Amino acid sequence: MRAPRLLGTAVLAATAAWALVGAAAAQGPRREQLPSGLTLLVRENTATPVVAASLFVRVGSRWETEDDAGISHLLQQVLLKGTPTRSALEIAEAAEGLGGGISASADMDFSELRATALARNWKKMIELMADVALRPTLPDAEIDGERRVMLTALRSRQDQPFPLAMDTVMSRVYGDHPYGRPILGRPAALERIDRAALLAYHQRFYRAPRMILAVSGDVSAREVMAEVARRFAAAPAGEGEPEPTLPAAAARADRTVLVRPSAQAQVLVAFLAPPTSHPDYAAVKVLTTALGGGMAGRLFTEVRDKQGLAYSTGGAYPSRLGPGVLYMQLGTAPANQVRAEAAMLGELERIRRDPVNPAELTRAKAYLLGNFALDRRTNARLAWYDAFFEVLGVGLDFADRYTRAVEAVTAEDLLRVAQTYLAAPTIVTLGPAAQ
Amino acid sequence: MTPTPSRRRSVCALAIVLLTTAGCATRTASSAPSHGLPAPIREVLPNGMRLIIQEHRAASTVAIHLWTGVGGRDESVGERGFSHFAEHMMFKGTATRPRGFVETEVESVGGRTNAGTSNDYTFYYLLLPAARALPGIALIADMVLNSVFDPTELTREREVVFEEVRLNEDNPRSSLGRQLYNLLYQEHPYGRPVLGDAADLRAATQETLRGYYTRYYVPNNMTLVVVGPVDPAAVRAAALEAFGARPAVPYTRPPLPAPGRFDGVRDRAVERPERQTQLGLAWLGPPLGHSDMAAVDVLGHILGGPRSSRLNQALRERARLVSSISGWYGALQGAGTIGVTAQLEGRDAGAVEQAILAEIERVRSDGVTPDELARAITASEAEREFSRETVEGLALAYGRAETTWNLEEERAYVDRVRKVTRAEVQAAARRYLTASYARLTFVPRARTP
Repeated sequence: MRAPRLLGTAVLAATAAWALVGAAAAQGPRREQLPSGLTLLVRENTATPVVAASLFVRVGSRWETEDDAGISHLLQQVLLKGTPTRSALEIAEAAEGLGGGISASADMDFSELRATALARNWKKMIELMADVALRPTLPDAEIDGERRVMLTALRSRQDQPFPLAMDTVMSRVYGDHPYGRPILGRPAALERIDRAALLAYHQRFYRAPRMILAVSGDVSAREVMAEVARRFAAAPAGEGEPEPTLPAAAARADRTVLVRPSAQAQVLVAFLAPPTSHPDYAAVKVLTTALGGGMAGRLFTEVRDKQGLAYSTGGAYPSRLGPGVLYMQLGTAPANQVRAEAAMLGELERIRRDPVNPAELTRAKAYLLGNFALDRRTNARLAWYDAFFEVLGVGLDFADRYTRAVEAVTAEDLLRVAQTYLAAPTIVTLGPAAQ
Repeated sequence: MTPTPSRRRSVCALAIVLLTTAGCATRTASSAPSHGLPAPIREVLPNGMRLIIQEHRAASTVAIHLWTGVGGRDESVGERGFSHFAEHMMFKGTATRPRGFVETEVESVGGRTNAGTSNDYTFYYLLLPAARALPGIALIADMVLNSVFDPTELTREREVVFEEVRLNEDNPRSSLGRQLYNLLYQEHPYGRPVLGDAADLRAATQETLRGYYTRYYVPNNMTLVVVGPVDPAAVRAAALEAFGARPAVPYTRPPLPAPGRFDGVRDRAVERPERQTQLGLAWLGPPLGHSDMAAVDVLGHILGGPRSSRLNQALRERARLVSSISGWYGALQGAGTIGVTAQLEGRDAGAVEQAILAEIERVRSDGVTPDELARAITASEAEREFSRETVEGLALAYGRAETTWNLEEERAYVDRVRKVTRAEVQAAARRYLTASYARLTFVPRARTP
């Protein structure tokens, strides 16, 4: 009953994903490099009278070690806590007064300062972002406060079944590579980081050539470029920091059993996978989607719909500058854990053995590209993606090239990448002690 | 607390309950046309079904929402959880389409689908390329009109619902929200968990569940909302073809009783495996459509909304008593809730509660500042503009308003917020944030070595 109908929709599918790309996303941003080295990306989008901006800085947990793990995220939090002319409260009030907000966080390959505003306030928004990024005062009391919040958040992750299982599987699959540590860092390292360390870290990394500012909204690109040149003129030049030498990622390919009180048992299975710039990237994305993307992927249909063994199940393959990770997840009643895990491993085995059928391949590609297009509709997401592609060094036309690469993926490609990357699972299970 | 609905089907029950309780009540569309958006078209089909069409030419996607006026509050003894269970079963096959048809058809053209159940309503959505709008209307109609409730599928899906219950139990924040409603509303329908009662769900059969569904999925209890770059005449024709043949059934939703008033503090402490303490306080507030709604909305924003809010500044930034705190106003059809939830590292929830009450007392006695009011109004205006960046933002606001409130009032809501005065905010604090409230604490369980 199923296959013929799918073939019917397949004709539409190839064009459908394109059809989702909105006017704003269809064209690339204007790109300019300031004399200081800061990269500026501006998108004019008149659809709504709003504006969003993302300032990416090439610093994150990738540049951290066990000794300062968590410093990138701590710095981001404290940036918002004072400049020579604004207190923490004044920064918050200023951002809210523009009809938006300002926030910051660190990731593995970058740190981000993001802001939104009503479009008429775009100039003030740029000024506020520059003030916070370039002139933070990093007050001691605020460092202590944010450190405590991060320590609490780390403990909280230890107490919740899914985050704990996730952190554990990442540490097992990445080994000593910094991607194996949580962005929140290590408690011992956090306790040690003081104002001097944060200040030095800021000076090392917050340099113009390491910065990418992406702006999207109902603004004039020419005016934004002039204003950014003026407001960010104080950003220090020079790369500042050589690329770190990183320990190799070496997946343990073993099983870790965590015993914790929980209503659901969690099963996570992970594999090392290629970085975003790798030729296999698109095929592994499609593979992940065929297995665990959406509600018609294999895990959802087999483990949840046919067997009723889970509510949440799926997989992901996040885009990374360095080694990627492909993981599959499910949560189930403790009594069903063994059966559910066997079902999941069975699906991983099957996709390495047999080619996917044409309808599945079509669905996976359409879903993947459709989601990609749906995720690039708001100004905040458009700015984020522009800065992200720049940080990954994949080029302004990445969205187009990626779309074509996904469309070209064949069932044979999937079989090949499944056999290449899904050979040795690293498994983490979490649940209450066996009765 | 700003939870977003999960992309996965129906984290719904709770996510949607939280959607309506978190942040501001309903800030979205306004009567003033902005950037060329025409007013939505609202009409009632001959069988009583309502249709709302919003042309949105700048969009490349279409949002198709089907809203039904059925939720946890409509369930009698023996059918607790049926609204949500029925929602799951809609994805399990119709007379002419097999299990999984919605997901497969939608995802195969690059779209998304999901559903949600709350106390007041159940809704289903498709997000599709604009060219797929008309087949999408036929698809969603087949889904909600012709589901078969196959007994084998029902048995299997029941286990999925139980997994959803367990998932929510393991998450302290979602558990806190649900149990806080239970503590505040108790025997009132809003006090019942949308996910239902395990015994009732186990006893559900094809006959009983379908009987429940048949009672409530009637034309005058449903609204179709279509937002996107669509031709209204074509949408109307497709809606008539898909839904028009369904005969009218006289159905009137019974009015809700008023929530029980109480004096003093309704207190509950629950031991949990986490090491953090969670504190939730909740007061009874005005329902959707009440004349105090906008003032309470502004009050919630100033007290506990963004980073600059009173509670965040006093408890997180200055006293460092909590790692996070938020205040919110959730307006439902029959009642409103004003809540404060906080997470703290130590066990001293008492000190946190005293600090929260002190901030509330400050608003009650001294009111709010002109700057605070101005920022709250700006936030409301901005939220409306940002919600128009996607078609689903408007569809959600329209569907919810049509089902539990009023479309025109929803569209004029930002204008109401603009007119709120400082005196009204202070009066609202005095009227609602009284000494009668619910207090729920999640305390760390003593660990055995």
